[in-house]
Amino acid sequence: MAMSRSFVLGQHYPGVSVIHRAGALAKLTATIILMVAVFVATRTPQYLPLALVLGAGILLSGIPLRFFVRGLKPIVFLIVLTVVVQMFFTPGTTLWSWWFLRITREGVVLALFILCRLVLLTLTSVLLTASTSPIELTDAIADFLKPLSRVGIPSAEIALVMSIAMRFVPTILEETERIVRAQVSRGAKIGEGSLVARMKGFIPILIPLFVSSFRRADDLAVAMEARGFRVGSERTRYHERHFGSIDVCVLVASGIALAGVMLWRLFL
Amino acid sequence: MPIELKNVDYVYDSGEPFEYFALRGINVRIDEGSFVGIVGRTGSGKSTLVEHLNGLLFSSHGEVLVDGLTLSRDRKVLSSVRRKVGIVFQYPEDQFFAETIFEEIAFGCRNYGFSKEQIDTSVQKAMTIVGLDPGRFLSLSPFQLSGGEQRRVAIASVIAMGQKYIVLDEPTAGLDSGSKLTVLGELESLRQSSNVTVILVSHNMDEVAEFCERVIVLDEGSVAFQGSTEEFFRSADLVNRTGLELPQSYRLARALKDSGCTLPVDESSSDRFLDSLHSWLADSGVR
Ligand SMILES: Nc1ncnc2c1ncn2[C@@H]1O[C@H](COP(=O)(O)OP(=O)(O)OP(=O)(O)O)[C@@H](O)[C@H]1O
Ligand SMILES: [Mg+2]
Repeated sequence: MAMSRSFVLGQHYPGVSVIHRAGALAKLTATIILMVAVFVATRTPQYLPLALVLGAGILLSGIPLRFFVRGLKPIVFLIVLTVVVQMFFTPGTTLWSWWFLRITREGVVLALFILCRLVLLTLTSVLLTASTSPIELTDAIADFLKPLSRVGIPSAEIALVMSIAMRFVPTILEETERIVRAQVSRGAKIGEGSLVARMKGFIPILIPLFVSSFRRADDLAVAMEARGFRVGSERTRYHERHFGSIDVCVLVASGIALAGVMLWRLFL
Repeated sequence: MPIELKNVDYVYDSGEPFEYFALRGINVRIDEGSFVGIVGRTGSGKSTLVEHLNGLLFSSHGEVLVDGLTLSRDRKVLSSVRRKVGIVFQYPEDQFFAETIFEEIAFGCRNYGFSKEQIDTSVQKAMTIVGLDPGRFLSLSPFQLSGGEQRRVAIASVIAMGQKYIVLDEPTAGLDSGSKLTVLGELESLRQSSNVTVILVSHNMDEVAEFCERVIVLDEGSVAFQGSTEEFFRSADLVNRTGLELPQSYRLARALKDSGCTLPVDESSSDRFLDSLHSWLADSGVR
């Protein structure tokens, strides 16, 4: 049903654009570079090169703009709150005042800056997750963590746990829906009545969900062992990715954005 | 009064890149007190159709009427429809949560405010229908049963509510052939005694031929046939085209005919086939 899609896969928007085809590792690196650029800037105009590169990425991805707007929704409250706080509580030249409320010039400038910062950060991460499947993304994170295994952190296992978790989120959501439908058909009232009634209403959903998740975990463990999985041995990948020209372009573009922001900060 | 679907379309993930038309222009009518089969190959939309019958899914177009009441998201409508239409889902044992089988089966009855005595009698009756001995099973945990027993508990948990329409989505998958016949046979007698309408989704054509007077055949989300089961199985072309196979009795009767043998057998189900064969043999003096 709709819930699982809009919740999880809603983050990923499958497609075949250049952005989708770029390697996850390159995109993850580029995202980190862009985020660094977001924090390097000190004034709003410095965001221009960054916004241009990000805008180009969004257009090239072929993902509809409303998808990005939807990505902004969860942080609307945060944005409004910070903007309002900055506008009213920054000391400086008064632009407008009424009773105890006072908007300052500096406040407006700062609010605009923070607004840009939050929006750019969000759009950057939405572009990454929308154009990269969760599995590719965890693989890329695993690559990032790899150096840590030298100092004894089991990065391969962490990555495996992450990708298994990712893999099962949609499955479990689907399972939840199935169970809800079955219990609703048996007259269960979910999310109705008093607080106690609501809590009680969750029992017929949670227990079957736990049972099936444990069974699933068990099955998976057996299946993995049957196929020769051992903790601590060297892993190979099914999808080997080689660095391609798209990857280089993605990295160069994000590098340009960072350099642009830095130059602007130094010279303007 | 019947259940009617008028021009029902259903689109999964409408407006998303994965959009998928699971049902197209469905027009069906399920009469009260009938035993109806819903068949079709895997992915033809049977489960999707079934979920429209008690308002778990709402058609993207068209309307669903249960006893003349048009289904909508309205709470009152939903609860009155769900009170009438019970669904046993594919793999219903995944819904277990209670400590004892009694509690599991009583869950629906409690939700509908049955009195204590009503619950006791409904649970006992439902267990007998699915062939579970109440004396032995009532206080066991549903999780310690075999797969087939679990399936029967799940079926009983829906039957116990005493609804007017009972929909079963592949209820007999995983049951041995004996229990299959018991469960369906008991549903048939429930239908005869209490005028319950039984809607059976099945991949087992022998079962369908034996129990369903009427079938609704789905193919890629559309109704390919709707009418008497015998008529459907007589048109072998249609059966093939919709990716189904003929019941054994029809195949046997056909093989007999092809080899030039003209026995007057009733091919409409395996049981009736055997009966007619027996009586023919008796009539012609063979022992
Ligand atoms: N939650 C869902 N999201 C998207 N598509 C779905 C969903 N559920 C089912 N479908 C698709 O709708 C089609 C019909 O599915 P449905 O479950 O109704 O088939 P079915 O006839 O019950 O099959 P089976 O005999 O295997 O149970 C299938 O092609 C399936 O892939
Ligand atoms: Mg199905």
